[in-house]
Amino acid sequence: MIRDEDIIIVETPELSAAERLYLPQIIGGMQTTFRHLFKKNITVQYPEQKRELRVENYRGVHRLNRDEQGRVACVACFMCQTACPAHCIHIVGEESPWPDREKYPKQFDIDELRCIYCGMCEEACPVDAIELTPEYNLVSRSRQEMIFDKEKLLEVHDRTVDVKPRKNPRITGYPGTGNRSNEQPPGDDH
Amino acid sequence: MAKITIDHRVIECSDGIPVLQAALDAGWDIPHYCYHPGLTVVASCRLCLMEMQLPHPKTGEMGWVPKLLPSCQTPVRDGMVVRFDSDLVRDNQKSCMEYFLIDHPLDCPVCDQAGECHLQDYSYKFGSAASRMADQKHTNPKKDIGPKTLLYSDRCVLCTRCVRFTEEVSGTHELCSVNRGSRQEIDVFPGMPLDNPIQGNVVDVCPVGSLLDKDFLFKQRVWFLDGTPSICPGCSAGCAIRVDQNEDVVYRLKPRFNPGVNDWWMCDEGRFGYKYVHDAKRIAAPVLRRGADATTPDWEAIPEIVSYRFAQHVAKHGDDKIAVVLSPMMACEEAWLLVKFIRGVAPSATIATGFVPTSGEAQHFPVGCKPDEAKFTILPEKCPNRRGVELITERAGGNTCDFDAFVKQAVGGAYSGAWIVGGYPDEWVPKDLTKATKHLKLLVMQDMFENTLTEAAAIVLPACAWVERDGSFMNHTGKIQPFERAVRVPQGARRDGQYLFEIAGHGGLYSGERVREMMAEEMSEFSEVGDAPPKPVHQH
Repeated sequence: MIRDEDIIIVETPELSAAERLYLPQIIGGMQTTFRHLFKKNITVQYPEQKRELRVENYRGVHRLNRDEQGRVACVACFMCQTACPAHCIHIVGEESPWPDREKYPKQFDIDELRCIYCGMCEEACPVDAIELTPEYNLVSRSRQEMIFDKEKLLEVHDRTVDVKPRKNPRITGYPGTGNRSNEQPPGDDH
Repeated sequence: MAKITIDHRVIECSDGIPVLQAALDAGWDIPHYCYHPGLTVVASCRLCLMEMQLPHPKTGEMGWVPKLLPSCQTPVRDGMVVRFDSDLVRDNQKSCMEYFLIDHPLDCPVCDQAGECHLQDYSYKFGSAASRMADQKHTNPKKDIGPKTLLYSDRCVLCTRCVRFTEEVSGTHELCSVNRGSRQEIDVFPGMPLDNPIQGNVVDVCPVGSLLDKDFLFKQRVWFLDGTPSICPGCSAGCAIRVDQNEDVVYRLKPRFNPGVNDWWMCDEGRFGYKYVHDAKRIAAPVLRRGADATTPDWEAIPEIVSYRFAQHVAKHGDDKIAVVLSPMMACEEAWLLVKFIRGVAPSATIATGFVPTSGEAQHFPVGCKPDEAKFTILPEKCPNRRGVELITERAGGNTCDFDAFVKQAVGGAYSGAWIVGGYPDEWVPKDLTKATKHLKLLVMQDMFENTLTEAAAIVLPACAWVERDGSFMNHTGKIQPFERAVRVPQGARRDGQYLFEIAGHGGLYSGERVREMMAEEMSEFSEVGDAPPKPVHQH
């Protein structure tokens, strides 16, 4: 509810004679334009020319990483789906066909159009299975094509793994508990 | 009533209940695993230990006992002084949590219990952040202990709630605890899987992710689910349940505490019996037939079409040749609205109670107990509201009959117009009734699935599943229990209550509560239907 005392009425200031002519403003604008005519060109003729990414951790198209055996590394824990502020990740989990893992994603869809590329999914992933790649030229002919499924996301991995290798997570676990790394816990010398 | 002092605060509670229960009821969050109000006390988890004042054996002076006592096993006595906010108690809780987590696989990301797990909650609240366990963890692969349940021994805290459940409530003794010490685990006997009609409750009583439903396994993470209080429509017992849904898909049903009806439990038949809700074959739109051509009218036009058809029929054939069959799957409110409409257009119409599906005999648990000593009962009447529609039929007065009499009269050609309500998850139409359709010039069918009657009907109205409606069911003891809408109706359909509300001549939105207020004016039974279901004694 807006109260009357909250409303401030602002009068439009009256223009002087010079301002009403608009000429000083036009000249000022043209000055800026001409100044730039003699400066170094900063535009790039995309897509013929491509600019180098200024940051290493550019947040582009997602990929689903593969583990050492070439299987999807995701364990379908839904953490990325939970963390996603744009609700663009849809996972269907299932019992995994492999003995060393409990759960895997039967279906893993990311709506790249809905995504805001915030990277929260990457942060949330406990096994670093989902990562954002430096790939930014995301084009398609339909909205449907922009919904990336598991296969497509694994393809992105195959395409970009040389440019950006998987982080290889150090999972905080202990030897002998399922599919954990063989690292010894800190401070364990025997 | 007794007055006891917990942490310097005096509370009143009933005499003889465990101190733990009194503290939980008064709002304390005392960690506990083995204690469950529906099971016997074993005091084995040692998490709920407290300090207590007792007279000194020599001087008789009141003082704190140097050892900790289990609050779940200590009954309340008047004047008792106990405390939980001491270092001794907190140290004990911390050490206990460390022991529980010694072999824990920390697989929370793939564990279905994560989010409603008391290992997580208590570890966060009462435990420590890091584990000091340096040796290899003792691992134990998951076990298939029954057709519907999995056991992950790794995650087990050995509270033996599940064992006590099969001993004390189901009386089937399938589960036991084998081995001792660090090798102790829950197991079934060889060749005797966990398979009894109420075995699903072991998953509910399990405070951790050790026992899991195969049906729900990996389907959803629990934090995506929204729970709605409801009543199970599987039998006439009227168990209070919670419908867990996400984006209008029901993923599981869980029992709600309902003293005197189902207490903490529910049966597997009810628990897994909701699958028909998402059946693609359900009728999802009204159908209007004129001769051979069928059309789907707008919902806005339905009240007018129905009233016009009935009015026309009454004018032609008289009002005593109309019958209404009230299904026991209907809520009381819906049945009442339908009766109001029919009696409005045809005052001497016959009101009949619908088909009551039955199967087998009442099953009492623990197995082999006397019916009056049963802790849980599955009733043979597989519909939720027979008593309710009977009550409404009786109060309607005038011409009433039961289902068998209706079928007999209908076959004999006593009726030329009928409104038959189905809404059963299974096939239900008796053969005789199909034959009677040739006498029915105006047949309105309200049903969930296609059958011989919906094929013959002039107007077909989709009946919705109970999770899509709201209203109240009267159980076999005459207790009226309200239930709420959990999910939206399928596209194209409308809630039964809503269109019946409009057909009965009311405007606006239907709500069970609103109709109950109208009903209470003529039926005092409905004036005191509590909308808030009883609160659970404690959450797990």
